[in-house]
Amino acid sequence: MAAQQLTTASAPTDIYGGDEVSALVLDAGYCHTRAGFAGEDVPKSILPSFYGSLKDASQLQGARDIFGDECLLPHADFEVKNYMSRADSVVEDWDAASKMWEHMLIKRLQPEKETHPSKNGLNDPADENGDVNMEDVENQENQEKPLAESPLLMTEAPWNAGKAREKAIEIAMESWDVPAFWLTRTPVCAAFAAGKASALVVDVGGACTSITAVHDGLILKRSVQKSPVGGLWLSAQIRSMWNSSEPKLDPMPTFMVESKTPVDAGAPAQARVRKFDFDISPSFRAYEDERLLTEFKESVVEVWRGPGRYSNPGNEELVKTQPGRVFEMPDGSNQMWREQRYRVSEGMWDETAALPTNEADTITKAQTIPELIKSCLNSVDVDLRPQLLANIVVTGGASLVNGFNDRLNNELMAMYPGMRIKLHAAGLTTERRFGAWIGGSILASLGTFHQMWISKKEYEENGAGIVEKRCK
Amino acid sequence: MSSQQGKWREEQVLIICPGSHTTMAQLGCSELTPPAHRIPTRMFKDDETDEYRPFHTYKRKKQGANGDGGGNDYEYVEDRDSTEGAVYPIQGGRIVNTQAFLAFLDHVHSLLTTTYHNTPIMLMASPQWTRPDCETIARYIFEKTKTPALCLLHSAVAAQYGLKWPTMTVVDIGFEKVDVTCIHDHIIVSHKDLGFPTPTRYISGGEVFTQKLLSLLRDKNFTYDMAEQLKKSPLCEVLPYAADLPELMDLPTEGGSDTAAVAEVPKVNEPAVPLGVDDESGNIDEKADNDGVLDVANIVTSGNAREFLAKKEREKAEKAKAKKGKAQEAEAAAAKAVRLPNSRRKVNVFHYEELVHEDVQVPESNGAPKPAEATLANGEAPAPENTPANGDAEAAVPANGDTSSSDALPFAADATGSITQRRTKRVRRDIEVGLERFLFADRGEIDRITDTIYRAIQNIDEIYKRSGCWDNIVFVGNGSRLRGLKENIMQTLNARHLVSPSTATIFTSELPSNMATPTGTGSQTPTGSFTGPLPTTSSVNPLLQAATTASLGVPGQVNAPGSTTGEAGPSHHQSHAQTPTSIKMASLPTYLAEWTKNGYEEAMFLGSLVAARLAYCIHNLDASTTEAQRQMSLNRVDYNELGPKGVRTHSMLG
Repeated sequence: MAAQQLTTASAPTDIYGGDEVSALVLDAGYCHTRAGFAGEDVPKSILPSFYGSLKDASQLQGARDIFGDECLLPHADFEVKNYMSRADSVVEDWDAASKMWEHMLIKRLQPEKETHPSKNGLNDPADENGDVNMEDVENQENQEKPLAESPLLMTEAPWNAGKAREKAIEIAMESWDVPAFWLTRTPVCAAFAAGKASALVVDVGGACTSITAVHDGLILKRSVQKSPVGGLWLSAQIRSMWNSSEPKLDPMPTFMVESKTPVDAGAPAQARVRKFDFDISPSFRAYEDERLLTEFKESVVEVWRGPGRYSNPGNEELVKTQPGRVFEMPDGSNQMWREQRYRVSEGMWDETAALPTNEADTITKAQTIPELIKSCLNSVDVDLRPQLLANIVVTGGASLVNGFNDRLNNELMAMYPGMRIKLHAAGLTTERRFGAWIGGSILASLGTFHQMWISKKEYEENGAGIVEKRCK
Repeated sequence: MSSQQGKWREEQVLIICPGSHTTMAQLGCSELTPPAHRIPTRMFKDDETDEYRPFHTYKRKKQGANGDGGGNDYEYVEDRDSTEGAVYPIQGGRIVNTQAFLAFLDHVHSLLTTTYHNTPIMLMASPQWTRPDCETIARYIFEKTKTPALCLLHSAVAAQYGLKWPTMTVVDIGFEKVDVTCIHDHIIVSHKDLGFPTPTRYISGGEVFTQKLLSLLRDKNFTYDMAEQLKKSPLCEVLPYAADLPELMDLPTEGGSDTAAVAEVPKVNEPAVPLGVDDESGNIDEKADNDGVLDVANIVTSGNAREFLAKKEREKAEKAKAKKGKAQEAEAAAAKAVRLPNSRRKVNVFHYEELVHEDVQVPESNGAPKPAEATLANGEAPAPENTPANGDAEAAVPANGDTSSSDALPFAADATGSITQRRTKRVRRDIEVGLERFLFADRGEIDRITDTIYRAIQNIDEIYKRSGCWDNIVFVGNGSRLRGLKENIMQTLNARHLVSPSTATIFTSELPSNMATPTGTGSQTPTGSFTGPLPTTSSVNPLLQAATTASLGVPGQVNAPGSTTGEAGPSHHQSHAQTPTSIKMASLPTYLAEWTKNGYEEAMFLGSLVAARLAYCIHNLDASTTEAQRQMSLNRVDYNELGPKGVRTHSMLG
């Protein structure tokens, strides 16, 4: 059909010169997973990597997974899980990962296929024997190759294991039938998003902070430094602060509050608590707590800008003379935060200032951001260091904490006096949060990138191992 | 060839706003009127040709055919009201059946206009439409029809064009979906939707309430249609949010004595017979004060019933007046009950109207009215109290006037003495409904919507954009027509999420957060709080400007780029304050009388009209505006150059 020939990929001008293959870009992180079309500036679909697992009374075998922030609401027998690993930001549960990705790439971004009547939900009342139909659906799904027209570019953490990389290409090629695939490292993408092929990438994410030297579009493997000092670690610091404050704060997340009445600062809350006739699972509670902590981080927490450490004499007294910030908890109680709001973030720079938390979140000196940068730079060639310091790309959602860049700049100037230090941090919040995705989007839409893709044919000839050979 | 643009007249533009349930369409955007056509969004698959037809079509044996006429024995009959075998191409805003949807577009088009070559199309797109969907539509429209130009318009943007605010949160409560879209300064900054398969589909929106109502009233033999009609009637209300009551709404009680019964959820299966006044009414004529008995099961046809009721009411009042001496307090109670608004009454009467189709055999003398049974109802109605209000007590009028016009599809066969005629009768029943008409406001569903609004706005990346979105919430979509729903949602949001403004503003000094350490010169003394970016014009408070610019000059202070969110520059200070400190509905325009009457629930249609004018009908613009206008829609010239992917850039998809 004439219509078919118009698909952009086949038109000759589009193959190398044009920017258009309608590739998909998938960037999975511990907190959020982002998916969208290459060439766009924001991912179309941003979902929390947390997903709900609902045990249905009617469905005795196993649990049903539900995806998306909107559906993470209190339910009976409801657990919130994450398919990524907190420690490494790599995929942990591949079953859930492929379901989640399928939901995002296919359900959200692709049109509904011409479906089988049993699947499109129109004939629901008519289906009496679900068993037979379910089989049909599965058969149908096996025949269907949902992404047969879209190449897929995925990002991965720089320390991703070879096995995991092979698994990724397997899923893409075998179950989605993508025509071409590429796997790229998040720091490289973040550098591309900032328009640089060589850079020192400081990625302060949700679960991890990583410092990576990128040279000519390739990561320098030995330079990769990783530490848990990220958004969730900061949340743990806040929690520790709340626990140790007088009186102890144990705020309930928004979902538990039915309604609140305004009270004076420091006064006890007057709120009606929502009652549920089922148990709220700890995992759901933790997820909801994180929402509250995010809000607290957004509007209260600040990084001491320096120069010098916050614990240097005089600084805290100075802050105490300044106006603080009031934060109102979901239950209406509110309180002013003044010097504390600097203290919670100080551990990122100074391990001695970190508030006591449980052992998993305790950090060492080597895990603070200045030390990470130091050891990263120490592991690269001396000649490269000036170039890297002049091209520092700051990305990741946790770097949005107020004052972060000023402090980073001050720390670097103190560590490398006389060197030219230039930070590059995107101004738009979205660009900072989705830096790696945007870089992937740029990369996949470049005309010159098309010769890089691992094609379906190459995969069939070489097997999953090709990804190790090609995607360095 | 941009001269192609702007060649159209306002009367030529075809505007289509597809919904999951009903599609609004109109030819011409010269008058900003409510939609001229409302078309059910459904198609019917023809099994033989595999094509889609707009109406249910069935084969029927021809009258008088005796079986030897070969294929001519059967005829095809279109049944315009039947939904048998209907395919709904859009579900929860999502196109689930592209072929059917394209056929539907074709159907809408042919219904409204005959030519393609000079009819540009403005098509509203739901946020759930995927990019390939839009491309398929563009390809179909340009390759299968001669349409000169197509503009795809994001539904939230459409609502914005209709309501004119630059910053707002559009809450679109539809049939089976709810979309919350935050628009800041004409740019979509956040979006959340309910009712999308995740992967199981939990619907949200108007349908949820109908289902809940139906489940509450199932014991009373309510059908889906009845529940739907009841929901749309003024009887059904979402009561105001009452934070301190156990059910979170203030349910009416029957006098003082019944409070205990009301406190718990009323029994659904309580009999449909009136909950009359019990004790005091012993000596009073039941007709007089027993309000519930007014469920006049046998009253027929719309107009009469109301009159009848009014008359009944008058009679009753007179009778009560006569008995004043005997039962004064009872009369007072009855009169009060009559005057009480619906929300304070425990029970109320619901007049259910349904259309009944039946094939009747009528003598050949067609055209003559058949007055036989009609008389029975129009005159003195029999005392209705004796008839219980159950499902089968219907008296019907073969209202000839109504029937022949649109609904009936008479067809005639010649030879026989009697003909079969399809008739539509309007049957009216009165049913008493208790507290179900308030309890259907499913708390879980309202909570879902409020949570989604809260999360959508709080998820906006730039914090300073949130307060504007909180201050301009609008509800569109016909699901929000439900009485009291909007108010309840707003009350819930206020009760649950409002950050009390007193404490937040007293202590929070919203001076630029990238300000340097105070220098002790006093230049940085907090000057109060403000939210949002500072104005950059010269009108800015000079003190403030001095204070903020001074911070740049502090020695030893280096400002790294991007230190605050946004391109840091002191004059672009952005607030970090906690939101929301106020939650308000945006005020609606009042200058369009027709729309005020129609309600702005369909503001997206109004916006589509406005956008259609802007995209197609404005001429003689300067160069840059012409270019911008060109990007609003995809015309044939651009399509030929770019292909279907042109809709990505040449559209208003947000």
